[in-house]
Amino acid sequence: MGSSSLLFLLLLPLSGAILIALLPARYPRLFRYTAIVFTTLTLVYATWLLLWGDVTPTETGLWQSYFHTWHSRLGTSFSLGVDGFSYPLILLAALLCWAAILASASITRQTKGYYLLMLLLETAMLGVFMAQDWALFYVFWELTLIPLFFLIDRWGGKQRQSASLNFVLYTMGGSMFMLLSLLVLFDATPGHSFSFANMAEGARLLDSGQQILIFLGLLIGFGVKMPIFPLHGWLPIAHVEAPSSVSILLSGILLKMGSYGLIRVTGMLPHAAQAMQTILLALALIGIIYGGLLAWRQTDLKKMIAYSSVSHMGVVLLGIAALNVNGMIAAVYQMVAHGLVAGALFMLIGLLYERTHTRDVNDYGSLLQTTPRFAFFIIIALIATVGFPGTAGFIAELHALLGGFEAWGWVIMILSLGILISVAYGIRTVKYLFTGPTKSAMADVKDLRPQEMLAAAILTAGIIILGFYPAPLLQLINPTIYEFQRLLLGA
Amino acid sequence: MVESLHPWIALLIPTLPLLAAAWIAVGYLFGWNRGETGERETAWVALGAISLSLLLLLVLDGLALSGNAPGQIIVGDWLTIGSIQIHLSFLFDRLVLVMATLVAFISLLVTRFSVNYLHREAGFQRFFLVLSLFNAAMLLIVTAGSAVFTFFGWELAGVSSYLLIGYAWHRNTATANATRAFVTNRIGDAGFVLALVFSLIWLGSVEWSEIPTVVNDKAIPTLEIGLIIGGFLLAALAKSAQLPFSSWVTRALEGPTPSSTIFYGALMIHAGVYLMLRMEPLLTMVPALMIMLLMIGLLTSLYAWLAGLVQSDIKTSLMFATLTQVGLMLVWIGLGWFDLALLHLVVHAIWRSWQFLSSPSYMQQVQQPAKPAPAWLRKHPRLYTAAMQRFWLDDLSDWLLVKPTRALAHEAQLFDEQVVDRLIGIPSHANMLSTLSRLEASKQGLFTVANEVGKGRGLFGFIFEWLAEAMQWLEDRLVLPSDGGALMKLVNYLGRHLEKIDHLLAQPRYLLLIIMATIMVVL
Repeated sequence: MGSSSLLFLLLLPLSGAILIALLPARYPRLFRYTAIVFTTLTLVYATWLLLWGDVTPTETGLWQSYFHTWHSRLGTSFSLGVDGFSYPLILLAALLCWAAILASASITRQTKGYYLLMLLLETAMLGVFMAQDWALFYVFWELTLIPLFFLIDRWGGKQRQSASLNFVLYTMGGSMFMLLSLLVLFDATPGHSFSFANMAEGARLLDSGQQILIFLGLLIGFGVKMPIFPLHGWLPIAHVEAPSSVSILLSGILLKMGSYGLIRVTGMLPHAAQAMQTILLALALIGIIYGGLLAWRQTDLKKMIAYSSVSHMGVVLLGIAALNVNGMIAAVYQMVAHGLVAGALFMLIGLLYERTHTRDVNDYGSLLQTTPRFAFFIIIALIATVGFPGTAGFIAELHALLGGFEAWGWVIMILSLGILISVAYGIRTVKYLFTGPTKSAMADVKDLRPQEMLAAAILTAGIIILGFYPAPLLQLINPTIYEFQRLLLGA
Repeated sequence: MVESLHPWIALLIPTLPLLAAAWIAVGYLFGWNRGETGERETAWVALGAISLSLLLLLVLDGLALSGNAPGQIIVGDWLTIGSIQIHLSFLFDRLVLVMATLVAFISLLVTRFSVNYLHREAGFQRFFLVLSLFNAAMLLIVTAGSAVFTFFGWELAGVSSYLLIGYAWHRNTATANATRAFVTNRIGDAGFVLALVFSLIWLGSVEWSEIPTVVNDKAIPTLEIGLIIGGFLLAALAKSAQLPFSSWVTRALEGPTPSSTIFYGALMIHAGVYLMLRMEPLLTMVPALMIMLLMIGLLTSLYAWLAGLVQSDIKTSLMFATLTQVGLMLVWIGLGWFDLALLHLVVHAIWRSWQFLSSPSYMQQVQQPAKPAPAWLRKHPRLYTAAMQRFWLDDLSDWLLVKPTRALAHEAQLFDEQVVDRLIGIPSHANMLSTLSRLEASKQGLFTVANEVGKGRGLFGFIFEWLAEAMQWLEDRLVLPSDGGALMKLVNYLGRHLEKIDHLLAQPRYLLLIIMATIMVVL
């Protein structure tokens, strides 16, 4: 069984959702307060568990687990557990959900449904990172789609219907490959169980051709979500049409589910990952340059951030593909860094959009005077996308260069090129948003409200603290990565 | 007693201006120091911080003069990569103490000058915020004990320079120049990052004080040393605006005069020279790079001298004069005269900051008109034009870098629209409702939503739609029509004939016939 603290953490947002469902519809503000209270509780509890609770980092294996057999004939179990890969992401998810709820003050229509779905989404996302059983993982993975579909479809922009449908269809399409691969793998396992450990054991018995096929299927499944270069088509429109609080979660956490899954798969099928290493590198580099160039061309602000996400997740893929310690650190660090940066950017740009009703960068200008608070936070966030020293991205970039150089040598110079492109669009955006002659349409834009400023400040502080003082996060992820590396070398 | 205080003193020197900047920023965000009433507090905070830093440095100078130079001070661990420890450390040797004192001194002077110069300017607080940031950055560049933290300062200086060039953000030229300057600088920074990575991989250390000994102990091949220096060299050339990066610096003069002084006249322009001085032990091992440095320095001096001859405004001609001098410093370094370069740097920084600061009142001080371009230059029209056009460096970089990037981005966009979007079936980029004008149009009902039901998008969508259409055709022709449709008619027709057969079969004579036929077959 293990300790039930993880189960409690998982059920915390769910109970918030249930409570919202039961509350009377007469007091619409009550829903928002309930959601704020429960996301705050989740965040505090997740942090407390790590600092003083019974989630204690260990040198090997899981830090904490909970096990309950689900269906013994099918071999499924309700098995939760966390380690150095998943816990930083759980903290990130809790933090971003909290920020997203704070930033959704402008949602006034059908607030009950909105906050209920947001809390459901949080539960599903935490579930993905906690699951230690592929069947359970798959359930939570698909469970995220349901609230997301409605959130985009009900509260999105003008083209929300096609955006939400596209998003769901393409993720489902990817999941089909994932499910197929998992079932093939399950067939081969002697232990007759879907648990991570058992499946990994079974994978070792397969010959390398089969391993590669299974890896490919999973790569497509996770690659759609991450997104990897030709599979990124759903991402710009979904990010653009989603309400900004949902964009925060989409780029902040949903994309990380893809890369997190890929890390787990790499641990399960190391031979296949080694065989595919060059292809993964090529995909990563193409993604970095391609996403960067497209971001540079966009006039739509949200679309620009969406493409920059493609570019940044390329760095994560690069780190994973390097298959060495520095690369893995780069991948995890970049996941956290990008989660914070993209979360902050989407939140701020979204709040700006609510005030101006335009996402075209040409419509903006001279905001430095009217909205100094916006200017302050957006400039920091844009500088952080560049991987500037003193922001979290720099640590990731440094490790990616080190790990990449170890694995491939000079090819990694292309990464520097990608970073250069990111400077171009980041700085260009600052110029368009904040400078230039005063525009009448921008003259009475309201500055950040206190609640929004709090959320922005916490995210920005996270970016800067992780940049200046990387030791705590590295301590959190390092033991698991060394253990992971030992497995890879042993394979 | 004093020893135990060293880490604190070292840490405070660059942090004090940084704290001042943070204080001003927080004050501005919450609105307590906005407007003219906040000027006094802002100025005091900025001045106090840099004065204290200078004071602390003077204490260290005093210690050094009495023979107790602190040397390397390790404050704590910052990052562990594998077996490599990167410390948060500071280094106070002869070079650093000279440079740091110079930096703090000039920063203090310029900060004091700006208090009056920017009085009642709308961006007073913003200017002092960025100036304090820059002071911190410059102090960090020179005092940092490891290349990583020098890089922190290096980048912070780049950002604050960007923010100050764009100080007059209403003007498009100011902001465009700021962007250009920043991007050019980032090319150099890419070199810095690569040098860091190479040092970590090959040397296993990025501490300035350890690098020379490691290089000697491990017998690092010259090629690898060359690559490490090459990275730093690229960064230095970009920061010090040497060829081929020279063009950004004249664009940078858009900022207010005090910031031009401190960034491009006195301090930041010398950061590259400082970095090369720092590399002294390594540079002497790779003579080829020293010769290259010599050539670049000479060329830049020549370029800046020629271009300077034809300038008509005071700030630009001062800038070209500065470039000439900085080029000469690189020449000294190339020749191996490191001490001369340092001396030149210090004297030049002080002299030039005085010149820049007095440039706004230059017209009053100088009674005669400016001298025209010398006669010999006017006799060579080609050279004259080249000097006027600043040797087309801007156009060259446009042609070499900006145009290809733009073309590549265009291709990527085409690919995304024509291939990825079509395959996936996303409405094309063009018909998105993202601009204000489109919003207006949709409000007035100019946009109509076409029939979306049963329309597939993308490759799979089209296959889907085609299949569905085929089925629909079948459905329409055979099943649905109210009079029964083709299928119904067929069924009715068959049914009628079957009924007839059934009817005939029911008669005894046919029944007998069938039975007999069966028996015959069986027999």
